[in-house]
Amino acid sequence: MIQALFLGGGVALLLAAAISAIGGQGSGSGRRRAALGLVIVGVIAWCSACAIVLADNSNLTFQLYQLTPQLGIAFHLDRLAAFFILIVSSVTACVAIYSFRYVEHTGSESRRDMSVAAMSVFILSMVLVVASANFFAFIFFWELMSLSSLFLVMFDREKGETAKAGIYYLVMTQFSTLFLLLGALLLHRYTGTFDITSAGGLTLSTAGIIFTAFFIGFGTKAGVIPFHKWLPFAHAAAPSNISALMSGVMIKVAIYGLVRILLDVLSPELWWGTLLLVFGTVSAVLGVIYALKEHDLKKLLAFHSIENIGIIVIGLGLWVIFGNYHLKTLADLSLFGALFHTLNHAIFKSLLFMTAGSVVAATHTRNIEEMGGLVKTMPATAAIFLIGSAAISALPPLNGFASEVMLFQAYLGAFQVPSPLTAVLLFTALAGFALMSALAAACFVKAFGAVFLALPRSHEAEHAHEAPMSMLIGPGILAAACCILGVFSYQILKGIGLDLPVPNVLPVSLVALTVFGLAVLAVRRMEAKARVSETWGCGIHAQTSKMEYTASGFSEPIITIFSPIFRTRKIAHREFADKDKSIVSGGSGEVHTLQFFEERIYMPTAQFVKRIAGYVSGLHNVDLDANVMYIFVVIVVILLAVGQLL
Amino acid sequence: MLNTVLYLVLNTVFVVAVSPLVMSLVKKVKAYCQGRIGPPLLQGYYNLFKLFKKEIIYSQNSSFIMRLAPYLNIGFLVAASVMVPIVFLPQISGIGNIILFLYLMVTAKFFMALAGLDAGSTFGGMGSSREMSLSAIIEPVTITSVAALAFVLKSTDIPQMFATTLHGSLTQYPTLILVAFSLFIVIIVETARVPVDNPETHLELTMIHEAMVLEQTGPKLALMELSHGIKQTILMALSINIILPLGLAADAGFIAIIVSIVSFTVKVLAFAVVVGVFESMMAKIRLFRLPSFFMLALFFSFATIVFELLA
Repeated sequence: MIQALFLGGGVALLLAAAISAIGGQGSGSGRRRAALGLVIVGVIAWCSACAIVLADNSNLTFQLYQLTPQLGIAFHLDRLAAFFILIVSSVTACVAIYSFRYVEHTGSESRRDMSVAAMSVFILSMVLVVASANFFAFIFFWELMSLSSLFLVMFDREKGETAKAGIYYLVMTQFSTLFLLLGALLLHRYTGTFDITSAGGLTLSTAGIIFTAFFIGFGTKAGVIPFHKWLPFAHAAAPSNISALMSGVMIKVAIYGLVRILLDVLSPELWWGTLLLVFGTVSAVLGVIYALKEHDLKKLLAFHSIENIGIIVIGLGLWVIFGNYHLKTLADLSLFGALFHTLNHAIFKSLLFMTAGSVVAATHTRNIEEMGGLVKTMPATAAIFLIGSAAISALPPLNGFASEVMLFQAYLGAFQVPSPLTAVLLFTALAGFALMSALAAACFVKAFGAVFLALPRSHEAEHAHEAPMSMLIGPGILAAACCILGVFSYQILKGIGLDLPVPNVLPVSLVALTVFGLAVLAVRRMEAKARVSETWGCGIHAQTSKMEYTASGFSEPIITIFSPIFRTRKIAHREFADKDKSIVSGGSGEVHTLQFFEERIYMPTAQFVKRIAGYVSGLHNVDLDANVMYIFVVIVVILLAVGQLL
Repeated sequence: MLNTVLYLVLNTVFVVAVSPLVMSLVKKVKAYCQGRIGPPLLQGYYNLFKLFKKEIIYSQNSSFIMRLAPYLNIGFLVAASVMVPIVFLPQISGIGNIILFLYLMVTAKFFMALAGLDAGSTFGGMGSSREMSLSAIIEPVTITSVAALAFVLKSTDIPQMFATTLHGSLTQYPTLILVAFSLFIVIIVETARVPVDNPETHLELTMIHEAMVLEQTGPKLALMELSHGIKQTILMALSINIILPLGLAADAGFIAIIVSIVSFTVKVLAFAVVVGVFESMMAKIRLFRLPSFFMLALFFSFATIVFELLA
């Protein structure tokens, strides 16, 4: 039953890809609708398969294709895999609904067809990565996922910015695969098998190296700082439905890999937890600080993905640390907090990317300085975006709060840790966590305010139109999920049998709702008589959009406070009309911020690789004898390596 | 059940009723310090009644955010006030998670800041921007103080913390005095007082909280001011009932509740006098110098944690 549903879903996705890839005559939009409909059917089949697995707690392994006795495509479904497949498929369903109209708004006919086809393959490969039973299948589908998403990122390939995004993405995703391959081969050396789940709590002297390899591999794909640089470029360049999938779902697949390695393959040591905690905190804090200075709506959201991946990695780090001290409740809180946040982030981040896509489609710009006032022209989109903003800012009673409070609760239990040094580390990280969470709220006040509130700051923003129905239903479903998963978080966790010390948000929401209702009742009469008029503005004639606070103005105090991180340099140049320098006749001002990771880490590394490549390319121009010798040397090296590994 | 309903009604009504008084008393104390007589003690109530009768005017540029924000604000702050027992300790457990308490206040602030941006006036934007910046850098301090409280009192539930200090004594938990210093600074920041903000002026230099509500009118402004008062009262109640819980009723008895209400009123008024005198003694700190002021509070809470770890 489960197997049939699972394979049926896969077949539906393949069909969808085939329908749109083959193309044909006549109306293209009908063909793409059929394909997207098939995608929805497929993911619903997956959802039901996963629901059965989660409910029965069953384990299921099945073979699809056997290449050699060691290598084959096999799948394994257990609760963890089912949970992640559920995340992938439920979010994908909403993105598919959104795509009905979204794919039609840009690009040529054939490119739209290819985009839907690549999207189906992309979704299929993400699910198959999670379902893989061995590293052979895992890395095969991992590569398929990376390449199909690369095609999708390159949708607007004529733009220079897209080319840059594509290069960054390709290099970093191969970098990630390299380390995964290294980890899998090292593991194979000790266990003699490529199976993922059968290794079971391995204790090895080299386990640290294997973990580090996997951490770099998965961390790169997830966007952990300092391996994050591809993420803002790729998410901004890709079409918005694809950004929603990449940011909401694909980076979660990397988190799945990390959880699987820590849970089932290796037995974590204390320092791994510390490593995860430190990298997670750095990603979370720097992610949101970079997001604050960003004016590109989609890049801003991409930096928030880095922040939220940081939160999830922090949860995993806390789980490892508390697990090592045998503090079971705290460890459970952290692990389930991290997993819950994975689900929540998938929901609100794809919601935000989709609504951002609607806004970008309506205003033809990603620069939030050129938006403003959209709440009047796009009220439904604004309301959905507002719910997403409140959820990602961890505001009760929404779902972002529900998962972050679990991590807060775990942190506040840190005094039970016997080692004072670890406890001090945990409390310091807690301060960083709090800073991150408050900055996220500030950043989303900025984002919502600059995009939707006040007066429109460009012609396009002034004449924007509300998004079509399908582009509201998709994110709308997710917005409802944000509310339900938040308000009923306590009841849901109880329902699935987790008895954790988390606050019950339901009564508080009821009180807030009651008071809200009472206040509305009390002011009812005056509200009916309310007048719309010009409010006092210090004697100005008419208010224009030039007077309002912009996104740069809004984030200026925070950027000034954190200027050591941005390495802000302000250059002001003034010209004077008189020799006493009292009358200014003109001047210019510049503000520079350092792109630390790009300028200090990525570019030097790229230069270094380029230099090495220069030397190597010098070896190409040789005669036949030398070439034969190269081949001989390579074969000897391969034979030696294979002998070592097997 | 009866106990819970009684608690919800009494606690909420008391908090709402006492908040304007506390606000006016601070003003009165500040006036005395400046050699003025100041407004009568009941001025806070007169203002609210007056505003409730006034007309509502919305800016042409504003949207539903402006219209909803005051209702949301009062809703979330009253919900937060339920988590801080003042009249008596309720029997119902698990309602007072301190993180939820803090984040309810952040939610209220979030919508207030959005409303500040809504009308597109420079003043509102300035207020929102500064408020969110300050709230971002005070947040680590607040959470660290809470972590210190949770460490010392071994609980994250506010009523349970109160019960612990009520049945114990301050000598058992000497480090609480250190936390009290940082809590005091948190209260000063959160209630927009000198040296962080100046509640008296509408001058550009000090515009933070007042600038955000500048566009609100009539009953909407009254709701905003009332919720600001509630926020101040519950934050004060949190520190009072942890440091000096004397008089707080452990159960719902008639006399115990009266004692609880009277003693709390006396304590909160004394606190208001301290805040007023403190405000009169301080000069406004430059906006970008404020982080160092907050660091002082962070230091106190971290010192608490370190002392407790070494103890």
